[in-house]
Amino acid sequence: MAETIIETNGLTRSYGDICALKPLDLQVPEGEWLSVMGHSGSGKSTLMNLVGGLDRPSDGSLRVGGEDLLALSEDGLARFRREFVGIIFQQHHLIPYLTAVENVMMAQYFHSVPDEAEARTALERVGLGHRLKNRPGELSGGEQQRVCIARAIINSPKLLLGDEPTGNLDNKSTIMVMELLKELRAEERFTVIMVTHNQEVAAWGDRTIYLDDGVLVREERMNS
Amino acid sequence: MLFRILKNSFLKRPKAVFLIFLSVAMGAAVATAFLGIAGEISHKMALELRSYGANILLEPSAVEGGGFLREEDLPKIKTVFWKYNITGFTPYLFGVADFSAGGKKERGVVSGTWFAKQLEVPGEDPSVQGIKGIAPWWEVQGTWPEGPDEAIVGATLAKRLGVIVGKELDATVHGRTQRFRVVGVVTTGGYEEEQLFAPLVTVQSLLQKQGKVSRVLVSALTVPMDEFGKKDPASMSKDEYEKWYCTAYVTSVAKNVEEVMAGSRAKPIWQIASAEGSLLKKLNNVMLLLTVLALVASATAVSTSLMASMAERGPEIALMKAVGADRFQISAIFVGETLIISIAGGVVGYLLGDQLAGIISRTVFNSAITSPLWLFPTAIISALVVAIAGSVAPLRRALLIEPVKVLKG
Repeated sequence: MAETIIETNGLTRSYGDICALKPLDLQVPEGEWLSVMGHSGSGKSTLMNLVGGLDRPSDGSLRVGGEDLLALSEDGLARFRREFVGIIFQQHHLIPYLTAVENVMMAQYFHSVPDEAEARTALERVGLGHRLKNRPGELSGGEQQRVCIARAIINSPKLLLGDEPTGNLDNKSTIMVMELLKELRAEERFTVIMVTHNQEVAAWGDRTIYLDDGVLVREERMNS
Repeated sequence: MLFRILKNSFLKRPKAVFLIFLSVAMGAAVATAFLGIAGEISHKMALELRSYGANILLEPSAVEGGGFLREEDLPKIKTVFWKYNITGFTPYLFGVADFSAGGKKERGVVSGTWFAKQLEVPGEDPSVQGIKGIAPWWEVQGTWPEGPDEAIVGATLAKRLGVIVGKELDATVHGRTQRFRVVGVVTTGGYEEEQLFAPLVTVQSLLQKQGKVSRVLVSALTVPMDEFGKKDPASMSKDEYEKWYCTAYVTSVAKNVEEVMAGSRAKPIWQIASAEGSLLKKLNNVMLLLTVLALVASATAVSTSLMASMAERGPEIALMKAVGADRFQISAIFVGETLIISIAGGVVGYLLGDQLAGIISRTVFNSAITSPLWLFPTAIISALVVAIAGSVAPLRRALLIEPVKVLKG
């Protein structure tokens, strides 16, 4: 049986009087692809931010990969993010003045040492070997998202977080991205947490949890 | 990678980078110009202040010289260590005489002096010494004496004797009479208006004091007195004395002159020396304040530009943090950008400031200046100070950016 990579107990996040995530108990085994579904404001992005060390909980406990995230300093969280997590955003968030390969190398630079050959290989793996020197503005939405995926996997993360990664893509690009993620996961064996409000995208995962108003209301295991 | 990030960051935002560069360059230019001309202004002001009168008085010491100094020692004043700081000097020989002119008689002081004596000292440049040089504020109605029997009379004495330019006047001392032709009436606003001034050699003959002088007034360029300058040289260690002697304090220049005038005692004329020192100190402070204000203004402009740039770059910084950049790595990017801009701004600021200092010097003082060697590193350091001071608040803001707030949606 796989070890638990994410474990939360009473995990809560409040913003003033608003409770975005109500006490949540969740375990995610290593290597699982967990889809998180819910309407806007249901707390799914809040959960992803907490698990990715981008935000701090208001209460409860949160252990990811054996690290107690509540005990980490700002720089400790930064180290956790660069060594343990890869993040794919809905809006890509690429540095506009850097080329595709430089955007990937930037993640290497913050992690350890940039290696252009390795960054090229990562882009080739996502099918962008011919777009290495293009800047984000010269790429399509799907291509930008694939650069984002290459950047997310370049440091071999144990945990890949996707915040609506296909939210801005058409159907064809969505399928291409999801297939790519499936392939990469099979090769790299990382755990995936994918926030989405698209039932079809959620179906690519092993398990889906449903959040409503910050509460886990339902859980569903997918057929492989 | 850092270089790539910096290079692309500059190329992508040329307008913002240029504004910051301009602010740094202007600060460095103004600092360079002010500091470059500060020395020149102090020198020129010190020269101007010399027209307020001599600042060192040489008198016979109480124990040596029999109450007089020797005229033959006077040329030695132009050979001392501080000779280039001595802008002029003039000897005086005083005596009480009975004046008579047109039937009127008055008792007064006859002063023998140099008016504009051509002084040749072996091994030194020729110079002109005398009252004309060290007391330029004297107003002479008529002309300065040139011949041995010509004299100028103080305005008060001339009025009492009823003499005017072109008249003759007799001065009698112990039965010896010297006739002078009055070539000028002098107004000084001081005690000199009660005296008659004639060539030194003539008065020495009249007073039977050949080769002797009563006192010497010396005008010297000096630096403002500080606590060290005020110390008693007798209580100084060898090193302290050397430092004091090699600094152009009015006391050390006076001591320097005293050493070559046998039987003399040199005293600073404190009301002149301290007023000059105070004025020069204030002038230096004003220049320093203006420089600091210019740098503060530049740092403020840098800070404003960086703040605006930081608002624009919020998502970029948030993304860097999200992919794992810690505070040190974020700081390295911004400090790197700041260093490059400030070094470039410092070099350009130095070149601009050097030209500006030259223009100011030519326009105001009608003279060219040569930039001291220390000015270039000073310009670079000024630029760094401006850039670093201006980037503290923006960097702080950058470090406080929360990725989750900026990247949401």
